[in-house]
Amino acid sequence: MTMSITQRAAAAAAFCALAAPAVAQDLLFLAEDVPAGLNYDGPAAAIPTSQTGMVNLMEPLFSYATNPPDAEGMITPDFSTFEGRLVESWRFDEATLTWTLNLRQGVTGCNGATFTADDVVYTFARAKSVSGAAPIGWFLSNVGSIAGFTVDVFGDEAARVLGDEVVKIDDYTVQIKQSEPNALFLPVLTIFGLYIFDKEGMEAEATAEDPWSHEFANNRGVASFGPYCLERWTKDDEMVFVANEDYYLGPPAIKRVVMKKVPQSSNRVVILRTGQAQLVQNLTPREYDSLRDAAGVAVAGVLGNSNLFVHMNFATPPFDNPLVRQAVAHAIPTEQIIANAYFGQATPWMGHVPSGYPGYSESTAQYPYDPDRAKALLAEAGYPEGAGLEAFAEALQLTYVAEKETTLGPVVNAIQTSLRAVGIPATLNPIPQTQYGDRQLVKRDLPFAINDQEKPIGVDAGYAIQLFFVSADKGGLNNMVVYASEDVDNLWAQARVEQDVEARNALLAQIQEILMGDVVWAPVVEYKTQWAFSDKLAGLQWHPDNSVRFADLSYE
Amino acid sequence: MLLRYVIRRILIGVLQLLGLTVAVFFLIRLLPADPVSRFVGLNASEEAYAQAEANLGLDRPLTTQLLHYLGLAPSEGDGLLQGSLGTSWVTGSTVAAEIGDKLPLTLELITLSFIVAFLISVPIGMLGALRPGGRADKGVFLYSLFAGSQPEFWWGLLFVFVFFFQLGWAPPPLGVLSPLTSAPPDVTGLILVDSLIAGRPAVFLEALHHLMLPVLTLVFILSGPIIKMVRQNMARALQSDFVLYARCAGLPRGTVARYALRAAMAPSMTLIGILYGFMLGGAVLIESVFSLGGLGQFAIRSILAFDYPAIQGVVLVITAISLGVYLFLDIFHALIDPRVAY
Amino acid sequence: MNAAEQETAPVRRAGVDTLFAIGVALVALVVFLAAVGPGIAPSDPTLASGGVNLPPPPLAEWPGLLAGAIFGTLETPVHWFGTDASGFDVFSRVIAAPRTDLTIALAANILSLVLGVFLGLIAGYFRNGATEFMMRLSDVLQSFPVFISAMILVALAGRSTFNIVLALSLLYTPIYIRLTRAEVMAQKTRGFVEAARAIGLTELQIALRHVLPNALTPALIQSSVTIGFAILLTAGLSFVGAGVRPPTPEWGLMISTGANQIILGEWWPSVFPGIAISLTVFGFAILGNALERRYEDA
Repeated sequence: MTMSITQRAAAAAAFCALAAPAVAQDLLFLAEDVPAGLNYDGPAAAIPTSQTGMVNLMEPLFSYATNPPDAEGMITPDFSTFEGRLVESWRFDEATLTWTLNLRQGVTGCNGATFTADDVVYTFARAKSVSGAAPIGWFLSNVGSIAGFTVDVFGDEAARVLGDEVVKIDDYTVQIKQSEPNALFLPVLTIFGLYIFDKEGMEAEATAEDPWSHEFANNRGVASFGPYCLERWTKDDEMVFVANEDYYLGPPAIKRVVMKKVPQSSNRVVILRTGQAQLVQNLTPREYDSLRDAAGVAVAGVLGNSNLFVHMNFATPPFDNPLVRQAVAHAIPTEQIIANAYFGQATPWMGHVPSGYPGYSESTAQYPYDPDRAKALLAEAGYPEGAGLEAFAEALQLTYVAEKETTLGPVVNAIQTSLRAVGIPATLNPIPQTQYGDRQLVKRDLPFAINDQEKPIGVDAGYAIQLFFVSADKGGLNNMVVYASEDVDNLWAQARVEQDVEARNALLAQIQEILMGDVVWAPVVEYKTQWAFSDKLAGLQWHPDNSVRFADLSYE
Repeated sequence: MLLRYVIRRILIGVLQLLGLTVAVFFLIRLLPADPVSRFVGLNASEEAYAQAEANLGLDRPLTTQLLHYLGLAPSEGDGLLQGSLGTSWVTGSTVAAEIGDKLPLTLELITLSFIVAFLISVPIGMLGALRPGGRADKGVFLYSLFAGSQPEFWWGLLFVFVFFFQLGWAPPPLGVLSPLTSAPPDVTGLILVDSLIAGRPAVFLEALHHLMLPVLTLVFILSGPIIKMVRQNMARALQSDFVLYARCAGLPRGTVARYALRAAMAPSMTLIGILYGFMLGGAVLIESVFSLGGLGQFAIRSILAFDYPAIQGVVLVITAISLGVYLFLDIFHALIDPRVAY
Repeated sequence: MNAAEQETAPVRRAGVDTLFAIGVALVALVVFLAAVGPGIAPSDPTLASGGVNLPPPPLAEWPGLLAGAIFGTLETPVHWFGTDASGFDVFSRVIAAPRTDLTIALAANILSLVLGVFLGLIAGYFRNGATEFMMRLSDVLQSFPVFISAMILVALAGRSTFNIVLALSLLYTPIYIRLTRAEVMAQKTRGFVEAARAIGLTELQIALRHVLPNALTPALIQSSVTIGFAILLTAGLSFVGAGVRPPTPEWGLMISTGANQIILGEWWPSVFPGIAISLTVFGFAILGNALERRYEDA
């Protein structure tokens, strides 16, 4: 009798699931933009929304295991454990620095293609061809010390051809060689910039001038083995994803996702409130806060890798003076910023690397908000009450990205106000994102700035240090404050090839101690990456690229 | 005679556009930043930078780039002469396609607003002019002064606050169609027309509903100067000799008013033409309040992204349309007023 | 008809004069605030206070607060118009803004007036290939979308008052050229020009001394309207991110930063500066219109 009730209930539930309108399995996801390209070596790869397209349509070799849901229901990666995705099992031979990857069988892509070793070889060959506008695949391979992925590729045509560093052993086995020991090998293979293409599907779109199908991936689609397939793509408007029913981890629960561009964040709030949309991203902290009490809406976030710091350029006086740097660091009203600009969804940042990353260590030197200390330091630096700083009006313009005015406005105004209170005559200088990027990355001439957009995609303190703090001529690609310390460079040279995790972490901790002592950045806060969504939606998971994986989601 | 005048004006127009194109080409290359950094965000090595620069064609000499853009260097690819505006660096689509995508919405918005504003303003302006100094006239006059001097983006926000937030009559300011509605197939690019062609009246009504507030805002602002002009010209016409004569001849009031209206329209047309040209670029404020992805928004985005081909394209198109409107007005005047001659 | 006109005429005068008085009062208030506004503002308009997004006090509390403010019995300063997302006092910023807005509007107007009248005089007086070329050039300038030129200028040289003045002048100079040229062409045919020529003055002397003063009036009247519109455009430029730098008190910037709070029901950061612009430009429009009438009557 009991059995039959359960059975009937199960039958009824099944019937309901079938009879329910297709809408119940649909998701309308509003973002500031839709993918502008699906080619990670293409011009749109650095745009976060483009990455969202890639990670849902493509499949990686590796990913991280997950932690259980936190108090807000968010699931986060466990950075200490790697999981094979397209790789079933793997082996590393220290003597020859060779990784042997046994690939998963029975993986089927959207057009029915079957995943084999050829697809992996194709992916690395394409990356090494550096034929796209921005060769990210090559860059990540280089970061992971995959042999042959050196800067030679830019000068020498022959160096762009894949050699024996990535070889197919059989249909389901691949070997990859490293040029030196490097702990970043597995981390880079989890990043969207080395997701695996479907060779056949891509080659079907190739032309004589464009053998690697960049035009196809930039404008029309991508062939891979991801959980979703592309149904429709109208740039600047919407991208429609449908579930890949053959997905090897099981068909995704949400069958159809419409990613719609709604540029103004306040408009995304409105549509979510009306119940038309089920998931929105990239609101301002104020807007997330206002949605916390809204009916039918949930807000959740994690302290992932988003942070805000003050950038002071070592090449520009008065920031070449360590005392001035310390004075600025002490004059930043962190608690006020957390309360007024982040509505409590942030914590003070005590280091130079995201605190959740492996290898992070909190340094002993800290610069808490202390206006009196700031004044004393200024006086010691030779600028009592700020006298003499007027000469540096140009350098004291606090630059920030104009498009982020709504979020950063309260932050820069608070900082500007408290800097003036200690005698530093700071002014504000909002400039367009593109110009900010040009000055930060290419010209490296921003004297004084607020930055909230550095989210190292390689989840490792060493990766962040290599990227931001190693001297430019030693490979510090994004050393935006023109910092040069022989100690840091030498310590990193050791840590880079150190195989023992503990020894490596000790070296990284030493570096982080030096960074804080020199106030290379003035870290302010780590803030939550948040989403607002229908309270029926479950399973939301944070990934280091901050893109949602629709396959994580389901309706309760 | 007139034909020669028209041909001459068109030739001048083409020269003007050519000069403008060259000027804008060099002007934007003076910009202190280039878009290359956008493409190398994750890997800003010198090699990657050079690679991206070469991909955009920015490593070639300026003159080569200019000749390519103008279409005078066939070996480099299509240019203006071949009808190509180049390819946007941000989206990878052709600039012509991008503009073709955005322009219809802007045209739809401002044309609709002008039609409604005109239909409302003419009777109101006439009402004022028929009894100069009367209570109605004073009201009309005050309104036209006030409406003509208002910040439209602020009124747009205010209307959103009142009609959407407080009263719930208007849809949220989310573009011309709700995000859930699929757009009708693209025939003319104009949603209002395409929805009817596709036989989807519901979409037509939805688009109208979504355009309600932006059009209301623009009509409010535009009606100011138009009413003022109609009222003034009408009053002038009513006092002119031919109207006095018509009155003395005992023609019915309505007929007299019609004559006067016709005489008053010509100068009003000029004003409307100038306003229309200004609005092509000026509609960006309303577009941004109501999230309408029109040409103005596209222009702003292109400049913020330092997307050179897109900036050149959008400047060229807006200026060409404005010059076209002015040319049309001049011809119109030359037709009705033989004294205009060059 | 004559009888009717006699009846209405005095009423009309009185009505117009009341309106004129309102216009003068509005403009005078703005000029006054431009002179002393930042000085009399209760808080520094560019320093953030701790309280963000505070609503204005309810109207019922205003008399008490007003008394408190006058007798200095309040412990904390009153935020009459509330505070914005950064904790700026909206009231202080509203009354400090005219200095920014009016300076830009006046500077742009004077620059374009001087340039436009000079070029218009030349174009109207000496009609030849060169001046024809200039007119075609000014056509192009006029059809060049102002927001785009301003954005490009801002991208070229950063946000600054000077760039905004330049962008507005690019827009307004052609208007003055056209106005002056048309008037000069009309004046040139009048008797006194013939007379001046007869007594042997050079063409340049005639143009500058005799035609120019007579042809200046329309341009001067246009000024009053132009100043008003310059304020609107300055605000519009701030709205698209090509205006003055934050945290400069400027009405358009205030509306722009307050705009996305409207959807949260927080209307005060954008509504008060909007009212200020609305009334100011209206005041200039009334003034301009009155001047125009006087000129036409005369």
